[in-house]
Amino acid sequence: MEAKNDDEIKKFVRERYAEIARQQAPSCCAPQSKEASSCCGPCAAETSHAQSLYSTEELESIAADIPSLGCGNPIALSELQPGEVVLDLGSGGGLDCFLAAHKVGSQGKVIGLDMTPDMIQLARANAEELSLGNVEFRLGEMEHMPIESDSVDVVISNCVINLSPDKDTVFQEVFRALKPGGRLCVSDIVTRGELPASVRESLEQWAGCVAGALEEKEYLEKIRAAGFVQLEAQEEHLDPHKEETACGVGAPIASIAVKAYKPR
Amino acid sequence: MKRDLMEILACPLCKGTLKLTVEEEDEQEVIKGSLYCESCAATYPIEDTIPNLLPPELRT
Repeated sequence: MEAKNDDEIKKFVRERYAEIARQQAPSCCAPQSKEASSCCGPCAAETSHAQSLYSTEELESIAADIPSLGCGNPIALSELQPGEVVLDLGSGGGLDCFLAAHKVGSQGKVIGLDMTPDMIQLARANAEELSLGNVEFRLGEMEHMPIESDSVDVVISNCVINLSPDKDTVFQEVFRALKPGGRLCVSDIVTRGELPASVRESLEQWAGCVAGALEEKEYLEKIRAAGFVQLEAQEEHLDPHKEETACGVGAPIASIAVKAYKPR
Repeated sequence: MKRDLMEILACPLCKGTLKLTVEEEDEQEVIKGSLYCESCAATYPIEDTIPNLLPPELRT
């Protein structure tokens, strides 16, 4: 890390997402806005609609209007099977967890991990509304996962790993938590070319999923270095708001979906 | 926190096995309690059903 230290970044990201969670929580004084700030939340003009990332069928399966802060749809990529154990890194308001819970059914389990207490509270409130018995949320860090080794079938994550100042550790932790033959299915932001120094050093841009983003090649290299095999990466549709904001600060970014396996 | 999810749980620091102490529980889940790591002696609180498994220095 160049300009800022890791703790400073984590603290800033945590505070920013706590703010977003509080904005999404139902309020007694104002009608609830179902429009979330996107993963590039710090830019006030931006909103990300779950409708642009997920199919109508998927969203109807959970019968609730929960906003997405993601940049893709790791659920579509993951081809979840009934009975599987799923871990969602940076579970936010819980949308991906709820979609996963529907797919794995009552014999499966879904664990949402998030380092922001307000997000966990929001996700829990959403889970209660949906009466889902197979989803749980835990306050924890993806760099220090509170998950037993070789215990998870699928790790999903949607536009979160870019926020970590220590991505090597995150991918090593994912690898450790997965069962042999288990898979990582992640949507995330990567860069296409150099970021201007002013962007790279900005905590705002870090929390907005830009400054912490790596070049696609470097991102995939870190996944391979953790031990993963059979990597498949595809470019995803980038939210136009996100693209516009990134362009505004001269940041060439893209959204990719990556699937990779822990060897059996 | 549901008891049946204990089996996937580990200490975030040393990955040791966690021991559950329940202070309050309903038919579905543990509402208040703690998780103690027998390997590294760290304790993690469970408050309002949510286990706080952030490394101790990151808790607020």
